[in-house]
Amino acid sequence: MAERLLDVKDLSTQFFTHAGIVKAVNGVSFTLDRNETIGIVGESGSGKTVAALSLMRLIPDPPGKVVEGSLMLGERNLRTISDDEMRAVRGNDIAMIFQDPMTSLNPVMKIGKQIAEAITLHQDKSKREAWKMAIDLLARVGIPDAPKRVDQYPFEFSGGMRQRAMIAMAISCNPDILIADEPTTALDVTIQAQIIDVVREMQAQFSSGVILITHDLGVIAEIADKVMVMYGGRTVEYGPVDEIFYNAHHPYTWGLLASLPRLDASEKERLTPIKGQPPNLITLPDGCPFTVRCPYRRPECRDDWPELEIVGAAHGVHCWVPVEERQGLRVQLPHFKESVI
Amino acid sequence: MISYIIRRLFQLVLVLFGVTLITFSMLKLVPGDPAVALAGKGATPSRVAFVRHEYGLDRPFYVQYYRYVERLFHGDLGTSMYTGRPVSQMIVQAAPVTIQLAIAAVLIELLGIPLGVYSALRQYTVWDTTLTTLALLIWGIPVFVLGYFALYVFGLKLNLLPIGGVGPMILGVVPDGWQSFKTLILPAFTLGIIEVAYISYMQRASMLEVSRSDFIRTARAKGLSERRVIWGHGFKNAVIPVMTVAGIDLGALIGGAIITETVFNRPGIGLMIYEAINQRDIAVIAGGVLFATFFFVFANLLVDLGYAWVDPRVRLED
Amino acid sequence: MPDWDEEKQAERDVYGTEVTQVETVDARRGGEFVDEEIETSAKPLGLWADTWRRLRRNKLALVGLGIIIAFMIVGSVETVFYQAHWHVRVSASTRPEDPGYLAPYDPNQVDYGLTPQGIGSPPSWKHPFGTDFLGRDVLSRTLIATRIAMLVGIIAVAIALTMGLLLGPISGYYGGAIDSVIMRIADIFFAFPYILFVLLIMSVLGQGFQNVFIAIGVLGWATFARIVRGQILSVKTMEYVEAARAQGASDLRIIFRHVLPNSMAPVYVAVAMAIGGAIATEAALSYLGIGVQPPNSSWGLMISDSVQYLAAGNWWWLLFPSLALIATVFGFISFGNGLRDATDPKLKE
Repeated sequence: MAERLLDVKDLSTQFFTHAGIVKAVNGVSFTLDRNETIGIVGESGSGKTVAALSLMRLIPDPPGKVVEGSLMLGERNLRTISDDEMRAVRGNDIAMIFQDPMTSLNPVMKIGKQIAEAITLHQDKSKREAWKMAIDLLARVGIPDAPKRVDQYPFEFSGGMRQRAMIAMAISCNPDILIADEPTTALDVTIQAQIIDVVREMQAQFSSGVILITHDLGVIAEIADKVMVMYGGRTVEYGPVDEIFYNAHHPYTWGLLASLPRLDASEKERLTPIKGQPPNLITLPDGCPFTVRCPYRRPECRDDWPELEIVGAAHGVHCWVPVEERQGLRVQLPHFKESVI
Repeated sequence: MISYIIRRLFQLVLVLFGVTLITFSMLKLVPGDPAVALAGKGATPSRVAFVRHEYGLDRPFYVQYYRYVERLFHGDLGTSMYTGRPVSQMIVQAAPVTIQLAIAAVLIELLGIPLGVYSALRQYTVWDTTLTTLALLIWGIPVFVLGYFALYVFGLKLNLLPIGGVGPMILGVVPDGWQSFKTLILPAFTLGIIEVAYISYMQRASMLEVSRSDFIRTARAKGLSERRVIWGHGFKNAVIPVMTVAGIDLGALIGGAIITETVFNRPGIGLMIYEAINQRDIAVIAGGVLFATFFFVFANLLVDLGYAWVDPRVRLED
Repeated sequence: MPDWDEEKQAERDVYGTEVTQVETVDARRGGEFVDEEIETSAKPLGLWADTWRRLRRNKLALVGLGIIIAFMIVGSVETVFYQAHWHVRVSASTRPEDPGYLAPYDPNQVDYGLTPQGIGSPPSWKHPFGTDFLGRDVLSRTLIATRIAMLVGIIAVAIALTMGLLLGPISGYYGGAIDSVIMRIADIFFAFPYILFVLLIMSVLGQGFQNVFIAIGVLGWATFARIVRGQILSVKTMEYVEAARAQGASDLRIIFRHVLPNSMAPVYVAVAMAIGGAIATEAALSYLGIGVQPPNSSWGLMISDSVQYLAAGNWWWLLFPSLALIATVFGFISFGNGLRDATDPKLKE
């Protein structure tokens, strides 16, 4: 029986701005077990990053606020514990790596110091010990010549190496959960695979759970165990990775899958994007945010949010399109074939 | 770092030559024939021609410029037409007074850094709004205006502080005794407070911008305390651009010091130039400007070196 | 917490009542996919509308803008009414048949009756700002001085801007030797402490407010050139420049039609600050005696005149021009800062 690390229920985060209330995350729920990887997938503005930051209580207040939800890390509710306790959690129980390693590292502080900082804070180690551990960590994430590198500054590293250094920083205190927010988006394609490998290795070494946030379905296919598809701040579909790829039930998921370029498509075939623009998070409808762009929208979609519907083993979806119709619709989509990958 | 220093020095030499060239050109552009002035009243045309040749005023421009620079190397800045004294001597006598004021103003100006940080940390509160508004208001006040106000209120009406002059000095720069120090207070604060306003505004802006950076978010995500995040990560990054700004601002500070001297009647470079303006004593004006400019250029070099020392990107990148 | 509007929120919550645009999306009608038009969410605002919206929230900047507008109105009116404004008046005699001006009294009207003890009279109902040592009305002189300040601000900065907008793009676009040379020269200009450089030039040119325009203007090009050049450098590598070049546009056209218009935001900020600076510099020059000459009136000149009488208790003659000067410079600085904040893409709300 896998140990449940994280249980998020009905997380809602909003930003109170001059233009209105931005409902960035709206009733999102998911769980994470040890050794499990959950991929949170969605376009920019879907709320995936805000959800992760809400978990870490890193939402700037003002103007943001986690307005609802229970974030159970084991026995503790991350939403209600004190600031001091939360700081003990950050970097220690839950660690996060960010999208752009160039801007996410302090440009005027040595890499070694940035890594050692977390160690001396959360573990009872002296500066010297922490420094040694930092060198060891850099080596473990695959940075050559670690003893020299540890004295260098971020700008002296290449993009891929910076991201590795960030990972080293994150795992320095053996966190139970690692949140990776678009870790490969800012990197070259050739480096992306390497970074994903590093994440996978570190997960194996520390038996941690990984929350991987990305818009790249390819990465999801690589390492996710289960997938949560988000749109407009809401979860639209949620399930094991195979179910999502081969038996998706939500039109948005279909759209995502259909928009992937295929190796076996002929040169003449055009790519199939999802038409329309990402939603304005201030003027969201009460119902499904995808209504406007959904080819299968029905009158009830706009104003009523569909309840969770279980459609398979640990596989849920929020959609008004009747389940009987979905199978038929799925195969009729242009360029959508039974086996997608 | 070495290559950076060398590049900066090379640039410095170029700039200094440019400065001397412009100054020299200005001297040449002054209306009137200097040979006539030198020859004295009632001189005959042949006498004027003789004087012209004697002083090399009939040589081509670049030759004159070369000789000008040569004289500069020997510390010869010409002679004051009004007082008859060598300009360099006047400068040597006047400079310490100005330097004293400049240093005092810089020391006061440094207060702007903590003020700016303080303001940034309390964004949206009454403190921040008040301080920022004050900073913006004071920054725009021309220094002579503030000077006269201060002089009127503290000097004349309240009779607290002297309204002019300077007292005895140690090493020419440090005030010797309380009386002497009192003469420094008003001018230094007048000049200093305007600078503080500017620096604190810039520091606040820089601090706010840094606090929105990704790496601050990363620092927080590691579980570091707010204090550590702000001071250990934020401040160092925030203060670097302010150093650059302060360096450039030194020019305005020097200019301000010059004007302040005219308000408070301090016998420094400013007053020297002011009197020279009234007398159309171009040699003194040019000499004073040249001295102040060289001072500014070297001060900027020091600031740049300090900047390189603090910011590793500058030091190591090539 | 920044303020947000309860009422407006209710309106916004209802889907599609904000500014909407019509889009073409897929729709399934009768078993086929057709294009259907539908209202989607708000359009992004244009650059200027967005800037204005952000600016509106900055109260200090708005105050600054208000001051600037008031200043411009007074200055323009004075300029329009005050004829013969290009010639420096040689004689100090006043001409009773002088044309009109927007002021309660003739600023040059000397009235010894109003100046007992030779230091003028303090503010009163008839003369709200008092009178100076010649019995001239201080309010009128302050208003008239606005004209000079405005002219200096506009003309000097216009000169500097023109030069900067020519040299900056050339330097930034072509790079290489041209860029090095121009930037080295700019470095030399920056090496002088500003006021001293202006003083030096004025010593050569001679006094008078026309020379003030030239001095301030000619010295100011470097700031603008550097800003524009920086913008050009960052824009140069962007794709639309490549696209334009691929279409065969000439270099000049690319610079001035495509690159420059997109680079102007920081320039506007610099213009606002520069006008404030120019006004302050003119005041300083007039104070030192080499700027505006009597009987033209400038705030700086009024201040320097008043100083002699300070010990005798004449404060009003110092106060009012000072306030006008401070307010005007503040207006430009505050607005310039507000503009900078409003056009900063990194400044989140």
